[in-house]
Amino acid sequence: MQPGLQAYLTVAGILFAIGFFGVLLRKNTLVIYMCLELMLTATTLALVAFSRFYGTMDGALFVFFIITVAAAEVAVGLAIIVALYRRRRTVQVDELNYLKH
Amino acid sequence: MDLPKLLSLILLLPLGSAVVIALFLRRKGNVAAALSVLVGFVIMALSLYALFSWNGQPLEVSHEWLRFGNYAMSMGYYFNNQTALMLLVVSFVASWIQLFSVGYMADDEGKGRFFGGLSIFMFSMLGIVLADNLVMLFVFWELVGFSSYLLIAHYFKTDFANMASKKAFIVNRVGDFGFILGIVWCWDHYGTVNLAALGKIIAANPGLLGTHAAVAIGFLLMCGFVGKSAQFPLQVWLTDAMAGPTPVSALIHAATMVAAGVYFLARVFFLLSPATLHWIMWSGAAMTAFAGLCALGQTDIKKILAYSTLSHLGYMATAVGLGYPEIAMFHLAMHACFKATLFLGAGSVIHGCHHEQDIYKMGGLLKKMPVTAAAFLLASLANCAIPFFSGSYSKDSIITAAFLAGHDHGAINYGVYGLVLFGALCTALYSARLFGVVFLGTARGEDAAHAHESGPAMAIPLIVLGFLSLSAGWAVQGWTWAGGAMSGLIPTHCAVVFLDAFEKLHASVEATGAAFAVEAINLGVVLAGLAASIIFYLGFEKGDALAVKAPRLFHVLERHGWFDDVYDWYIAHVQQRLCDILGALDLLVFKFTAGWGSGGLAGLTGSLLRRAQVGSIHAYVYWFLAGVILFWAFAVR
Amino acid sequence: MSAFFFYFFSALSILAALLVVVNREAVNSAMCMIVALSGVAALFVLLQAYFLAVLQIVVYAGAVMVLFLFIIMLLDTSARRIHVTEMNLVAAIAALLVLAGGAIWLAHQFPSVGELPKLTELPTDQAPLAYSTAAKAFGYGLFTRYMLPFQVAGFLLLIAMVGVIVLSKRPGDAKSDPVKEPRP
Repeated sequence: MQPGLQAYLTVAGILFAIGFFGVLLRKNTLVIYMCLELMLTATTLALVAFSRFYGTMDGALFVFFIITVAAAEVAVGLAIIVALYRRRRTVQVDELNYLKH
Repeated sequence: MDLPKLLSLILLLPLGSAVVIALFLRRKGNVAAALSVLVGFVIMALSLYALFSWNGQPLEVSHEWLRFGNYAMSMGYYFNNQTALMLLVVSFVASWIQLFSVGYMADDEGKGRFFGGLSIFMFSMLGIVLADNLVMLFVFWELVGFSSYLLIAHYFKTDFANMASKKAFIVNRVGDFGFILGIVWCWDHYGTVNLAALGKIIAANPGLLGTHAAVAIGFLLMCGFVGKSAQFPLQVWLTDAMAGPTPVSALIHAATMVAAGVYFLARVFFLLSPATLHWIMWSGAAMTAFAGLCALGQTDIKKILAYSTLSHLGYMATAVGLGYPEIAMFHLAMHACFKATLFLGAGSVIHGCHHEQDIYKMGGLLKKMPVTAAAFLLASLANCAIPFFSGSYSKDSIITAAFLAGHDHGAINYGVYGLVLFGALCTALYSARLFGVVFLGTARGEDAAHAHESGPAMAIPLIVLGFLSLSAGWAVQGWTWAGGAMSGLIPTHCAVVFLDAFEKLHASVEATGAAFAVEAINLGVVLAGLAASIIFYLGFEKGDALAVKAPRLFHVLERHGWFDDVYDWYIAHVQQRLCDILGALDLLVFKFTAGWGSGGLAGLTGSLLRRAQVGSIHAYVYWFLAGVILFWAFAVR
Repeated sequence: MSAFFFYFFSALSILAALLVVVNREAVNSAMCMIVALSGVAALFVLLQAYFLAVLQIVVYAGAVMVLFLFIIMLLDTSARRIHVTEMNLVAAIAALLVLAGGAIWLAHQFPSVGELPKLTELPTDQAPLAYSTAAKAFGYGLFTRYMLPFQVAGFLLLIAMVGVIVLSKRPGDAKSDPVKEPRP
């Protein structure tokens, strides 16, 4: 059976949910960040599917931008994590709770 | 230049001067003084030019400024003969007093401030003079009150000056409360606040004045007059206002501002019902007599002159109450001349004696300050209403009018006649006392012994105004010249205000056949007073004769009948208690609603929400998810 | 044939994603992430988005994940047992199911497209933004309709570079704060 739009969207949705699951579950900041990237990738998949099945280029172009922004974001985010590590010597989120009331 | 533009220039020049002084010249006192004096003389010249080029027709110019619903607030000029007279008086007297101030305030460090205040006062006063509707008049009325507040507190480092300026402003405000109620009711009842329009309405339908609303409006409008012109019961501020520099006392509290109330009454005379006029008459006459008496109980030269002013304001009020607003304006003009001279003379004396104000430390100044003495003498004689001096024409007219009221309108009005005659007696008494103690005899203090005449800046205004105190009244003798443009020393357009009334009054008195008797009694009372005063006071070396011989009486007069003390007691005990109660209530309300109410609520919410900050990223993510689900549910419902 | 590839690569991606989440070691997670990204790239190929597939491999799996690996190894965190409390796991699984269910439901809201739109090799003037496999189509779109976002993205990259440089500076030597002990 030729996979239709719904199949691709389903895959994208499941990937997104798994990524979110990872964000909720893991305590290592870096792994949480990777799961965030996974969520982002899921959305790119959905966008490309839409773009293909509706015959327009807009979705793909948007994916282009998403990849660009994700790359920039990862760079900055990791720099922040490294700076945080220098201060607190840890990357476990349950030890990064200075803003606790 | 046509008249409206000329009037705008006259009105706005002092404002410009005040702004320039306030922004740039506060430290440069001499430049400020020069600017202010220059502007003053320019205004005087422009006013004279306006008067001579005026064709005699009343001018109404109006310009809408703000609009609220169907009420339009406008600014404009209403120029008729009354305006002309008042404009002449204000601009003329003010210019000479400004020149005097240059000499008087020569070594004062707040000169810039002072001349800025004088300029803003000129602007405000001219606004009152030229205003064409009651609201505009009220705006400038308040501005004049503000200028007075500013200038009385010139020596702001002394407590006395600060308290006096506050007192002046607050007491004025009390009167203005009634005033504004009157204006609002006037607009509601007659549909307009424009003076010319009101005049036409009343002229078309004189019966309107009989309604209760009209009577009430008259009384309320009178409240403004009571506050500004220091009538009973709000006269307590004028004597304390002497805390300001002497030129201020001369200009504001003798010649112009306090006379603004009388001018106002003359402008709205057609709105005043007989009941209001009755009240004005009696309270004015009573004030004349009482203030004249109190002047005998003062030893401060300025306070004596202040009570004298109160007395003369009483005369003006009596004239209005008797139904002769034109005579009141006449007396206003004459009074401005000689009272300004008296105050300027007092200023010269004070300056010469190094700021000594107690008359029992002066004496023998006749030889040392001849110019001042001469001017003071002329003005005092005018004050007492000696024939041919300016004051006599107006003051005697008022006394004559009082007699006529008794003669024609019921014997009870002879009481008014008696009061004003008594006032004339007192005037003679205190004038002679003042002149004698200050200028005659020997010097009683160190400063007086070394006094000398001050410079020309102070002498020239004295000469000019002194001469006018002698001659200003000659206008009524019918000496017209310059092709009818001048009557005596007053432009005809201004003199016309009172010439007719003067003629009519004297014709009425002639008709009663008692004219000669009335005049004789007037003169006799004055001469008797002068003689009695000379005998009683002069040559008495141990201080004030009255104080020594009748100390209780002196004390009553000195305390001004305990008016001030009554008010002080009321404010301290009744008013203050009320304020304290209100304050406590206010605090309670706010504590309750804001402190426990909204404040407490905010605090509670805050402490609840604070608990959400657990520091765990995962918790935040769950909250985030919850939010997303909420949004989603909202979006797809 | 493409159906088989679709199922294969979907399963691969999903499995790799799950492994990313449950792996104890961060390095292993990163490796599994690369596999997942490659799977997604394959799916892009199945959708005839060849340019994007290559972009995904080169940029995402290549640059971004390598950067991740650098940082993971730099920070040298010792492997720790995942302290997963009962609540946490239950809650997370619940969230997973909810989200997955929601996503699947949402996916089925979209009507299935019957006939796939025709693919054009190159964009034509009548339909400049029609879906095409050529990289030129990206050029057409980026330089006409999406010019502003394109420039802004460039600016964003510049800012990111500057930001990273600033963030990586060590705190001043003279007044460096004493590093605090990790709180218990």
